[in-house]
Amino acid sequence: MQIYDVVIIGAGPAGLAAAIQCRENNLDVVVLDEFPRAGGRLLGQLHQEPNGQWWNGIEESKALLERAESLETDIQLGVSVHHIEKLDDQFVIHTKKKYFHTRNVLIATGAAESPAPIPGWTLPGVMSIGAAQVMTNVHRVKVGEKGIIVGVNVLSAAIARELQLAGIELHSMALPTRNVVVDEQSDPRLVMDRLSRIAHLAPSKFIQLGSKFAKYKFVQSLALKYYPTNGIKMWGMPIYLNKAIKQINGTDKVESVTMVDVTINGDIVENSEKEIPVDFVCIAGGLYPLAELAAVVGCPFIYSEELGGHIPIHNETMETPVKGIYVAGNITGIESSKVAREQGKVAGLAIAHKELNSIDIEEKLQAAVRNVVATRDAASIQFHPGISEGRKKVSTAFQETMKTQKELELVR
Amino acid sequence: MKDTIICRCEEITLGDLEEIAKKHNSSAREIKLLSRAGMGFCGGRTCRPAIDKILTNITKENPSDALPLKVAPPVRPISLTDLGGFGKDDE
Ligand SMILES: Cc1cc2nc3c(=O)[nH]c(=O)nc-3n(C[C@H](O)[C@H](O)[C@H](O)COP(=O)(O)OP(=O)(O)OC[C@H]3O[C@@H](n4cnc5c(N)ncnc54)[C@H](O)[C@@H]3O)c2cc1C
Repeated sequence: MQIYDVVIIGAGPAGLAAAIQCRENNLDVVVLDEFPRAGGRLLGQLHQEPNGQWWNGIEESKALLERAESLETDIQLGVSVHHIEKLDDQFVIHTKKKYFHTRNVLIATGAAESPAPIPGWTLPGVMSIGAAQVMTNVHRVKVGEKGIIVGVNVLSAAIARELQLAGIELHSMALPTRNVVVDEQSDPRLVMDRLSRIAHLAPSKFIQLGSKFAKYKFVQSLALKYYPTNGIKMWGMPIYLNKAIKQINGTDKVESVTMVDVTINGDIVENSEKEIPVDFVCIAGGLYPLAELAAVVGCPFIYSEELGGHIPIHNETMETPVKGIYVAGNITGIESSKVAREQGKVAGLAIAHKELNSIDIEEKLQAAVRNVVATRDAASIQFHPGISEGRKKVSTAFQETMKTQKELELVR
Repeated sequence: MKDTIICRCEEITLGDLEEIAKKHNSSAREIKLLSRAGMGFCGGRTCRPAIDKILTNITKENPSDALPLKVAPPVRPISLTDLGGFGKDDE
């Protein structure tokens, strides 16, 4: 029976970058991903950086994949991992196909989208914004003739642009009306505050949009009060923080949405209902770390709003308190793909260091850790303004967990 | 909004969840078990965050560091034969 040095779950930027480091150090590695193509969420990405250059996710994932293949990395696609079992000195990775035995595991499963239920959201033609991205940029399928985006955030704005570039007509972007699930996305002040604090870092046109908000920074309520009736335009498409979608209508599929005006508190203005014909609706409910496998193998968690939800506790070198389990990429917090890639490098080097214990690798590891921070600071897409604080919380939690673990061992 | 489906697999609406919560005065976990919300075919992969939100809102339990609802393997839908694991280890 083969025992791997490491099984990497997820072939996104984090998993692939880690695999490259492990293979450069000659470890026995297998990368597993349930999607039929390697690259993860990178595959759908296409945006313009502030310096004018384009970030083309397909090219970026090709580069990673080519490097991994040149190092003869075993990458198995279409393989879902449904459990990680912890034995005394190894882990068993359960997949439909077979079991993989390994000394170390890197969980790089990325992020998932939060649902934003609004009346009518189960009609055919309603999809998450990420699904629209994958259909458009990965599968090259036109999602519809004319649509609308419900939910205004960095991700939905970036993907709206991608849909436009693909020649798909969008009516506008608007908020969802308030309900228990979408309370944050439906609050105009919160949405504006988030956009104004991050937009100065985001891609090209978004900067201009950002500066429009930034100008109003100290008078954000005023800005909302006098928010232009026709919305603030980005690439010719109105973004409304003063209008919200109350429901999606249709018999067998999406036929229209009901749009209402909302006050700066997100309250619906009476008699403001308008029906807008569309044949598809994208709902953007935000992202959260996909950490189910870390949970089943017993990693402790910490809640961080800044990082997007419940995060498996880990340190700067991506180790969790469960010895041999590592995490990297969006499972550790919602950030851009460049950060995920650098984190993957760190995890790969950390695993190589654990297995080979060489000074050379240790030095590379330290440099890679610094690189994560530098990449984070320079990232053109930031999902939350408080990412660095969130990171600090997680790192403190790791130290505390390790301290408690030690104390418990002493008691035993 | 009451009629809006939250868990698509088990077809549980927001109203269903609120009603169960009121009737039995239950914790988040109990509401999940009583309604089967999040326990259908997809294993809660679509609705989990929404259910977390709704349940914490109903029960006023604060979001803590622990995961609100336990995650149990298998985390993907698989057949009983596959779960059995027969023939999955190399010699
Ligand atoms: C819808 C969406 C759109 C995004 N758009 C952007 C963007 O435009 N720009 C940007 O910078 N960032 C974007 N992001 C953030 C994105 O997550 C990061 O940029 C980056 O892709 C994260 O890399 P990763 O390696 O951590 O995870 P991912 O790239 O998400 O890769 C994770 C991989 O793990 C696999 N996987 C998960 N669970 C299992 C399992 N149980 N078994 C087997 N395989 C599994 C998945 O199939 C996936 O391929 C987006 C994220 C999402 C969800």
